[in-house]
Amino acid sequence: MTEATLPQGSLPEVAPPRSIGASLRAAGIDTRLLGMLLALGVIWIGFHIVSDGGFITPRNLWNLSVQSSSIGIMATGMVLIIVSRNIDLSVGAILGFVGYSMAMMQTIWIPITLGFGLEQPWAWIVTVIFGLILGGILGLIQGFIVAYLGVPSFIVTLGGLLVWRGLIFQYVQGQTLAPLDTTFRLLGGGPTGSVGELMSWFIGILICVGIVYALITNRRRRRRYGFTMRPVIAEIAIGVLACVAVLGAVWVANSYYWPTNLAAQYAEQQGIPIPPGGLQIPTGIANPVLILLVVGGLMTYLATRRRFGRNVYAIGGNPDAAVLSGINVKRTIMYTFGLMGLLAAVSAAVQTARLNAAVTGLGVSNELDVISAAVIGGTSFAGGIGTIPGAILGAVVMQSLRSGMLLLNVDSPVQDIVVGIVLVAAVGVDSFLRRRGT
Amino acid sequence: MRLTRRAAVILPAVLLVSAACGGGGATTAPTAPASATAGASATAAATASGAAEGCTVGMSWNNYQEERWARWDEPALKAAIEAGGGTYTSNDAGSSEETQITNVENLINDGADVVVILAQNTEAILPAVEAALAENIPVIAYDRLIESPDVLYTSFDNVKVGEMQAQAVLDVVSEGNFVVIKGNGDDANSDFLRQGMVNAGIPDVGENSDTITIVGESYTDNWDPAIAQTTMEQFLTDNDNEIDAALVENDGMAGGAIAALEAQGMAGTIPVSGQDGDQAALNRVALGTQTVSVWKDARELGTASGEAAIALCENGDPSAVAGTAPFTTPGGNEVAGILLEPIPVTQENLNVVLEAEWIDEETLCQGVTAGSVDGCP
Repeated sequence: MTEATLPQGSLPEVAPPRSIGASLRAAGIDTRLLGMLLALGVIWIGFHIVSDGGFITPRNLWNLSVQSSSIGIMATGMVLIIVSRNIDLSVGAILGFVGYSMAMMQTIWIPITLGFGLEQPWAWIVTVIFGLILGGILGLIQGFIVAYLGVPSFIVTLGGLLVWRGLIFQYVQGQTLAPLDTTFRLLGGGPTGSVGELMSWFIGILICVGIVYALITNRRRRRRYGFTMRPVIAEIAIGVLACVAVLGAVWVANSYYWPTNLAAQYAEQQGIPIPPGGLQIPTGIANPVLILLVVGGLMTYLATRRRFGRNVYAIGGNPDAAVLSGINVKRTIMYTFGLMGLLAAVSAAVQTARLNAAVTGLGVSNELDVISAAVIGGTSFAGGIGTIPGAILGAVVMQSLRSGMLLLNVDSPVQDIVVGIVLVAAVGVDSFLRRRGT
Repeated sequence: MRLTRRAAVILPAVLLVSAACGGGGATTAPTAPASATAGASATAAATASGAAEGCTVGMSWNNYQEERWARWDEPALKAAIEAGGGTYTSNDAGSSEETQITNVENLINDGADVVVILAQNTEAILPAVEAALAENIPVIAYDRLIESPDVLYTSFDNVKVGEMQAQAVLDVVSEGNFVVIKGNGDDANSDFLRQGMVNAGIPDVGENSDTITIVGESYTDNWDPAIAQTTMEQFLTDNDNEIDAALVENDGMAGGAIAALEAQGMAGTIPVSGQDGDQAALNRVALGTQTVSVWKDARELGTASGEAAIALCENGDPSAVAGTAPFTTPGGNEVAGILLEPIPVTQENLNVVLEAEWIDEETLCQGVTAGSVDGCP
């Protein structure tokens, strides 16, 4: 009698959890993401110990955040491509082509061909918009051929890789374009290309508010539809931990001060006296990282909350069912490639601005890094599975390995070997756990 | 593997140095030798020009798509051949080893008297080379080595490039913490350059000297400037910015390393080397953020090779060509080589690239304070 009166929704809370994993899942926590965070923690602490305390320092973590952002930005798009059972091998070549075109725009077309001269204050925005449109169009062309003409994406984007890279040689004949517009270069980071202390705190608090808001609305929605809910204590714990992590990251970024030389130059320009012990200007979040955060947020929203994103997952989960349920599969697929091209253009702006040059090798083999980041982040080639935050984390894991090994003076062939092994091992462990889980 | 390669590098380097010393005093002054070599080859052409009427020179490019060949090498090569009374024909293999073998056979069938090959692959081209030699057609290995004892090898001296890079840096800073950013690990040139640095007094890989400590050393996949930038960032982080000089093997990567230095407000405060004479790099030299760009004037190589081809038409023995010196290849072959001296371009001699019309003044001097360096009035 007493059992019959129990409300259905509370059953999971009453049942004793069988294992840590199960209880975490009961609390509505993504165990895969948690596992990756743990792995990242192990990597960081490991490098920190081996490098005699050289890894977990504000400066190195700040470097790491900037170094990861270009691949991270593209990985968010690659998730949707792979989730819908396609692949894009052309991202590096598109990045190179668009990066070159943007460099042409600001070093030749605007200043010389159109005769406006160098260093126009508006040049960077024209350049970026031009680049985004170009990248989007290149992506849409490939997407059209994949979706409407039925050529496998592997072939289309392999062809694209050759074509876009060939075009770079064709129209600039391998010449390096540098230096770039000084305003444009701020997109690439560096202490001057960062948002500063107050703005960083403001952004951190904004993200915190966003997290809390998302948790509350999510809970309300679940209650309205009668879905199972996390225990309140878990909700609070998640909110607090996430906020601590976000504000901690901001604190780290603000603990990295401007290099003394730069600060001295700045003080001289502004006529500020340098205090004893040097001028300490907190650097804050770098612009490429800010771009990554915005892209990551928008892409997560698109993937989880908009019809387009849900359609992509539906197509990846079961293409036939997706067609039968009335999803416009072809158009959706075409758009995923358009989006990928757009994101490659964003990364092109970040990379050229950071390097202060467009070189013919721009973006070479980036497609492999991007695909690896998505896959390490839990995206499955079987389709239908993959998350945006996971892919970004994947990019950070890969870059952590490379940066850490550089700190230890490990040479690049050995770095390649380690990254290769980690890639296969990560996917191996993941698919083993997934098989056991179902 | 690496050890054997290194041993192979040292041998020819020693030979080269001794050859250079035997060759006369001209080679010791960095800016002079270009004219010296040119002079030597000019006499070769002069003696040949009368007798070589109707000499057909066939050129096999491995990949004509790359900027350099079409823009600088081919016009000079063609002009030298035609000045010697010869005819120039060519074809392009589009980066394919197989196509290149067919191409060389086509050149032989079309009646070439001398074949010049820019090989896609030093080993895979051998069947075609043997086919040519079997018909008594001399072969010139253009810029890239071919592992055959009977070819004439024309190129720039890459060990010398490394020496010049190190020397220019050592002229600014002779002691302290140095970092070395090398090219692709699979590319023999990366190690040739590194060997040259050792010749100039930089400690070898894994060693330090009394005055110089190597605090960071790394190969760079594909000579990628973006990777070089990350590498430099990590070196700076690891050493808390206490780096006194950066030996970087080419201009693209030097650009990456300097971008990393710029972010620390250190650009122009420590010497950085490079090579290739990239326009952007020469601009950095003028600006003072890069110390040296070792410049290999491709036109000079084209001219020297064209003149050598005309000489071979008359006498098929490579070692009889003026200006050659014996060169031992990494594969152990003894060949006749014409190894041109590169020119280190620093702020002191920017006029060299202007006078050669390699770069125009506007590009070279973009952003440079007027009158601060010679060459930028």
